[in-house]
Amino acid sequence: MKITRRNVLLAGAAGAACAGMGRLAWAQQGGRVVVGTWGGDYGSLLRENVDTAFSQASGIDVVQDIGTPDPRKTKILAERQGRRASMDVAFFNDTDAFLLGQQDLLTPIDANNVPRMAEVVPQLRKAYSIPHIYSFQVILYNPAKIDPAPTSFADFWNPKWRGHIGFVDDMYRQVTIAAALAGGGSITRFDPAWDKLLELRELGAKVYSSNEALASAIKSEEIWMTTLYLSRGYMWKQGGLPLEHVVASEGAPIVAFEAVVPKNSRNQEGALGYLNAVLGAQAQAAFAKKMGYLPTVQDAVLPPEIAKSISLSAEQQQRLLVPDYDYSARMNPQVLDFWTKQFKG
Amino acid sequence: MALLIVPAGLLTFMLLVGPMLWMGRISLNEYSVEQFMIEALTLQNYVKAIVDPYYLNVLAVTFGVALLCTALTLLLALPVAYALARTERSWKSLMVIVTLFPLLVGNVVRSAGWMAILGKGGLINYTLRLLDLPEVKMMYTTSAVVIGIVAVVLPYMILTLCSVIESVPRNLEEAAENLGARRLRTFVSVLWPLMRPGVAAGSVLVFVLCMNTYATAVLLGGPQFKMMAPAVYDQFVIANNWPFGAALAFILLAMTLLFTVAGSMLLARRYHRK
Repeated sequence: MKITRRNVLLAGAAGAACAGMGRLAWAQQGGRVVVGTWGGDYGSLLRENVDTAFSQASGIDVVQDIGTPDPRKTKILAERQGRRASMDVAFFNDTDAFLLGQQDLLTPIDANNVPRMAEVVPQLRKAYSIPHIYSFQVILYNPAKIDPAPTSFADFWNPKWRGHIGFVDDMYRQVTIAAALAGGGSITRFDPAWDKLLELRELGAKVYSSNEALASAIKSEEIWMTTLYLSRGYMWKQGGLPLEHVVASEGAPIVAFEAVVPKNSRNQEGALGYLNAVLGAQAQAAFAKKMGYLPTVQDAVLPPEIAKSISLSAEQQQRLLVPDYDYSARMNPQVLDFWTKQFKG
Repeated sequence: MALLIVPAGLLTFMLLVGPMLWMGRISLNEYSVEQFMIEALTLQNYVKAIVDPYYLNVLAVTFGVALLCTALTLLLALPVAYALARTERSWKSLMVIVTLFPLLVGNVVRSAGWMAILGKGGLINYTLRLLDLPEVKMMYTTSAVVIGIVAVVLPYMILTLCSVIESVPRNLEEAAENLGARRLRTFVSVLWPLMRPGVAAGSVLVFVLCMNTYATAVLLGGPQFKMMAPAVYDQFVIANNWPFGAALAFILLAMTLLFTVAGSMLLARRYHRK
């Protein structure tokens, strides 16, 4: 390149801009980061609040690979022996991220390679992922149909609601946990769930292929009560569905949605930089406002009315249940088998 | 001359036989939650699939739906193929394009179209509501899956039968009619025996497509309806049990091959006997 006064001035200006990004390895490195994520609101919010700002600051292009988490998990498993993964960052729920971390397929993460980890709520920190957003499993019900309001997961077994209880197929783990809790089991003892699920099947419980299919059934008043995350209830309520939520007396299992970097990512530095941007306070607040998920960083500020809609009271927080991921992962084949063959079959 | 098949042979080996051999090897491994897959040489995945009543039922449903769809497709395709083959009008090529047109749209899009017609708020129920008639549940039923599959495979059967009927000289039918045979008799005694190899080819093609149905079964059958291809997908992608998924895939392949060969042999033998 020919050295001119103009080029020297431009280089100086770029250097000054980089200095503002500290000593981070991904700053102004260029290249591309492929992000495996959900589409819809999730993908749009990432694009609007993370991807664009991160690209401008780092010079790294962000490409979203939109799909559902099961194929993403399968891709990472299939590429585990390859030198170059097709995704640099992938989003999963906490149990799936644990399964991949357990197989040593993910890059270790801490505050040294992702500085914003220092702001993450301590209970949500993991060694193989960043917690992006989180919520709780609650009971969602139509107040015009379910009266009095439910108080416990056991209310799903009330014969008065026969044929009007429905679940999303993907929520098989969470429904099994609700059944276990209602039957006297716990987050580490699923055995009572089997009989309870068979009883529920006898009561005409329905299974829907997607969140959208269940939403449509709730709207048409075919379904009166379900169990889902509070965040989903918040979104549906905002969308006009006749729903209220209640924290079950047995507890509110936590779900976190996490982002991971496969060990064979083509652009590890860029991917770690992207994770740092995902933990930005403003980006997290945007997810809370639109999707009703709680921020995982302590410095994110939410408008009081939104915080009230998506958070739990001090008394309800006593009922939070943190999943035992090791037990859940070990039980997963049995849970899925029972759900597929006995409950749905 | 033999060298001419080398490129295609190599390509087939690399893209079809190679992955299948690899999958065959996977089917002999053991599944582990912690380690994902353990290297082994065991037939336990095949035994599990064969003795499990759930998977036997899935296989029976797949076979039943495939057989029903093949028979329905044959019945629906015959008159269309005959009309298309015997017409001499200028719009024949336009009709062929119209028959081919559905193949330009993917299975998922076509199933989405059926969902818009058969769903609770779909076209049929909307019309029934307008007429003050009770709604009918069509989505997530075996009937919805059969309708969806037949719509997908119908063009294949029509085009196969059409080419076979075109190859049967028209004057044979005219000769039969001159000798006093009615249309049905002409069809049964003259046309059907001559077109039987084409019927066998079309039926085999359609049967194989039906046995391997995925998108239509998932979208129109819903979460409680299970055929073999979605069951294979579930094992690979949702349960991450690749050895069992690979064993199910080979069982599906073996069953499809068995019924296809048996059906073809039966039809061919009857044709030669004639």
